[in-house]
Amino acid sequence: MRTSYHRRILGATALCAIAAIVAGAQTTPPVPPRVTRGNGDNAKAAPLVVKDEAGRTVEIPQPVKRIISLAPSVTETIYALGLQDRLIADTDACDFPPAAQKLPKVGGPFTPNLEVIVSMKPDLVVVAANSGNRKETADALDLLHVPTYATNANTVDDVLISIARLGDVLGAGEQGRALSESLRVRLQDLHRRLEHTTPTRIFFVVWHEPLMSIGQDTYIADAMRRAGAESVIPIKEGYPRVSWEEVVRAQPEYLVFGSSRPEEITAMMANVRNLPGWRDLKAVEENKVVIVNDGINSPAPRIVDAIEELARRVHPEAFVDVPPTPVSVAHPMIELAKNALARAAVVAK
Amino acid sequence: VKALTLNRLMWICASLLAVLFVTIVVALKVGAVPLSITDLALNLGRVILGREARIPSEYRLIIFDLRLPRIVLAMLVGGALSVSGTGFQALLRNPLADPYVLGVSSGGGVGAILALILAPRYPLVTPLAAFLGAIATIAAVYFLGRRKGQLDSTTLLLAGIISASFLAAVISFLVTTLAGRDLRGIVFWLMGDLSTPLQPALYWVLVAGIILGVGAIYTTAADLNVITTGEREAIHLGVDVTRVKLVVYVSASLLTGLAVSVSGAIGYVGLLVPHAMRMLFGSDYRVLIPTSLIGGAIAVVAADTLARTVMKPTELPVGAVTAILGAPFFIYLLRRRLP
Repeated sequence: MRTSYHRRILGATALCAIAAIVAGAQTTPPVPPRVTRGNGDNAKAAPLVVKDEAGRTVEIPQPVKRIISLAPSVTETIYALGLQDRLIADTDACDFPPAAQKLPKVGGPFTPNLEVIVSMKPDLVVVAANSGNRKETADALDLLHVPTYATNANTVDDVLISIARLGDVLGAGEQGRALSESLRVRLQDLHRRLEHTTPTRIFFVVWHEPLMSIGQDTYIADAMRRAGAESVIPIKEGYPRVSWEEVVRAQPEYLVFGSSRPEEITAMMANVRNLPGWRDLKAVEENKVVIVNDGINSPAPRIVDAIEELARRVHPEAFVDVPPTPVSVAHPMIELAKNALARAAVVAK
Repeated sequence: VKALTLNRLMWICASLLAVLFVTIVVALKVGAVPLSITDLALNLGRVILGREARIPSEYRLIIFDLRLPRIVLAMLVGGALSVSGTGFQALLRNPLADPYVLGVSSGGGVGAILALILAPRYPLVTPLAAFLGAIATIAAVYFLGRRKGQLDSTTLLLAGIISASFLAAVISFLVTTLAGRDLRGIVFWLMGDLSTPLQPALYWVLVAGIILGVGAIYTTAADLNVITTGEREAIHLGVDVTRVKLVVYVSASLLTGLAVSVSGAIGYVGLLVPHAMRMLFGSDYRVLIPTSLIGGAIAVVAADTLARTVMKPTELPVGAVTAILGAPFFIYLLRRRLP
């Protein structure tokens, strides 16, 4: 009797299972056709097929009119390219320029809401592969057939290349190259000024509790080197937690922070300066603390501003006494002016 | 144990399925993008009538590519975790046992991290590695948990807890030393998260595995009823205790491994749902197993709907929601049981 009872139950279970399979079949429908976009009447160019900076092949419909940015660095770059009119949404973390805060939001860079992104029908979603976004997000957007382009910059040179490439992808190659070139000229000028200085040994504070700093292979460490400064932490990759012993032994000449709210850092320093570790640093004792703008944390145009700020603080001698300009170096100066004009034209547009 | 009739079981399941249906409808309706109930009915009607071509593309993407697959995934994961929790509670005869008690989720976590380090570019490698990590942990705990050739509940539990904390330490070690690698995804993975759409093929693997696991546990239901009164008595009554334990162990582990591989570690579901079902419908495993399956589905769909909507458009990991709601609920259940 028990067996027959069981048979019936198992039969019912099997039925449920079949129902589940059928239901499952309906919930994973075949790949839907590409979303057709509005304004279909004006002739569309063939889609642009590019390899993005994370090595993914992306098919980008042309022209790109509706962009969603999923990272602060991307938002900043799009504004710097003068393409903000095409930016239809960004993330909670996109706070520069201030106008970007007013755009519709799709969630945070780690937790963007896919529903919201899809419902806005973007032509292109731009993510930052190494600063802000998860790989899973790009994978998910691929599954949903939303064109997604990833930027990825690990050095300051990469940032400049990345800006120019993003310009190309968005159909603003001219602006992209002009912006990239103007930044390059500024960096070259800086390089000339700092050529004969010895790198200042600094400790870049990513976070103070627990103490975190930068690895030598990050774009921030590269930015430090461009500013004539060198991180005292020899670790190569990423943003490591470091021990106080290591920092105290190294005795950096300056502590460097990157923040949009320097008063918070100053207040924090006032609180910790008598704690063990902090009080054992000569830099703290002598108040050699540099707070550069938070552009340093983001692979976007403002990183060059931050580099210049830092260079002026750690190598004032290279800026107060500008060597007489030889004829041969006058040329880049002219170009600098030209580029500034070009940039102004872009901004005005 | 109340006398069980097929009729009673059918009624219980039907009422739970009705609750599940309502939960699914609500979950389909609410979200970051508002949908009206008429639009929802209209478009579901179109699917049923086979007129899918007439569905506006944004509905197709949002309902059928995002919400519905996610709800199905939540149901599968919830059902698997709850049945697995029921199985482990019976097997270990410990009311605190849950699917993760034997270190399965930590094993899965180690697998997932290794996959993210070694093969970050391949989409199916992470769930596969997580599943293998979970299974390897289970096998290790099984051999550690045997005494004189028998599965001993206490030894098994201790072996599981130690393995879990050892593997959690391995995860901390890997995450700290490999800070430079792109391991951001792992945080979501360790907290339990359903926000990332799966490769469609994985749904079939999940469905097949869950039918297999739940079915196998269900065949032991009557024997589990006897075993919970005492192993010695069960042996005297002619129950093959060793075989039952092995079946439940392997099936519950399979279910947990599957759930962990696609969603990370979603806590409390496997602990709470079996307790809640036991209070509602009694402790007969022939009822407890199917009701846990449906109840788990309801719980995770509801929790994930909250995760999607409370902070919209930002999403919370579903594991955070189940923990925030689960812990107080557990205390409530505990207090109610006291005289």
